[in-house]
Amino acid sequence: MSLTIFSLAVLFTSLGAGVVGAILGLGGGILLVPILTVFYGVDIHYAMGASIISVIATSSGAAASYLRTGLSNLRIGLFLVVATISGALTGAFLAGVVPTRWLELILGFALSYSAYTTIRQLADELPEDVSTDRLAIRFGLEGAYHDLRLQRHVSYRARNVVGGFTAMFGAGVLSGMLGIGSGAFKVLAMDYLMRLPMKVSTATSNFMIGLTAAASAGIYFSRGDIHVLIVAPVAIGVMAGAYMGTHLIAYMRNTTVRKLFLPIVVYLALSMILRGLGIHLL
Amino acid sequence: MTEPRQVHTAVEYLVARVLLVGGLAGLALIALGLGIYAAHGGFHHQVLVLKREPGATPPGVFSSLRQVAQGVRRRPIDPLAVSAIGLVLLMLTPGVAVAVALPCFVAARDYRHATIAAAVLSMLLVSLLLAGALH
Repeated sequence: MSLTIFSLAVLFTSLGAGVVGAILGLGGGILLVPILTVFYGVDIHYAMGASIISVIATSSGAAASYLRTGLSNLRIGLFLVVATISGALTGAFLAGVVPTRWLELILGFALSYSAYTTIRQLADELPEDVSTDRLAIRFGLEGAYHDLRLQRHVSYRARNVVGGFTAMFGAGVLSGMLGIGSGAFKVLAMDYLMRLPMKVSTATSNFMIGLTAAASAGIYFSRGDIHVLIVAPVAIGVMAGAYMGTHLIAYMRNTTVRKLFLPIVVYLALSMILRGLGIHLL
Repeated sequence: MTEPRQVHTAVEYLVARVLLVGGLAGLALIALGLGIYAAHGGFHHQVLVLKREPGATPPGVFSSLRQVAQGVRRRPIDPLAVSAIGLVLLMLTPGVAVAVALPCFVAARDYRHATIAAAVLSMLLVSLLLAGALH
């Protein structure tokens, strides 16, 4: 494939990944890595390097806008990212010590349960009563934003902060050990355990994934996994797409975002169970 | 029982500004490097190596800041090294955003969040040092 055609094709693919990533709070790796490896024949190491840059580009493009509009919660994001990064560093050290196949199976079943709870919550637009979680009040894990779709002011406070923090640490450990992104887990923990509005969960996840990716980007760089000619069109496309995504989500219902998120959870659950059984989709 | 407040202060705006400026500056350098590369006919002559061979370093792969600096200092300049500076800038942006938030929290006497930001920052530094040790 000529370099010009490759760059243009990757640019437009990344544009789409950026839109989806910004809306769903994922870095786009879940979409980009399979596309780059299967359709464009890119080496898995270069694809993962491109994915880590795409996460940072999505985060920079989307979180800048979400923080201004109040959809992304800086304090909740920073509080939870402590758990995720420390989990990821722990996971990186544990890698090779604990058998990964069992972990993949456990994770697959945990995600299947998450898919089930997501289906049960599909119709919930916003959490109804106000949380009285003491840690949430103490750490100011609350906020408000103007919902353009609902045409009203929405205020919220996190629940079950201990559960959310623990889940984030666990997600960090697993992502460090299994080399998978943890954007989806962050959204699930904020939406399901901490009961934040779905749009706040994905927007805050967008801010957090940039930080967790930045923590591992240096390692990918020094391994020589970041190929400028592959990463450049990805970064440009993803950032432009993320910017478009932030405008789309403003006019979406929380329930719509959750419906779009469901297939990602189902796919992740299935791929983890299959990996645990020794079947790799890629 | 208190109602949730809108915790939307200058810190959010500043962090948003850093993310936007850092992201756009990184992107501009990436595009500039690609532009120079295209002007030098790179897109016509280059056969893109998509497979990673052990020990080989194809054009466009840099594994240390020193290699990037060498590429920029070379004459004629290595345009892909210019793009690599943009990528490094992009990678540093989230950390810089937290580094900027830290003094803002201190100035607002919000020591709880200042401590959290400091913890995040130190973990980012630890991972950078780990990356350096890997090389």
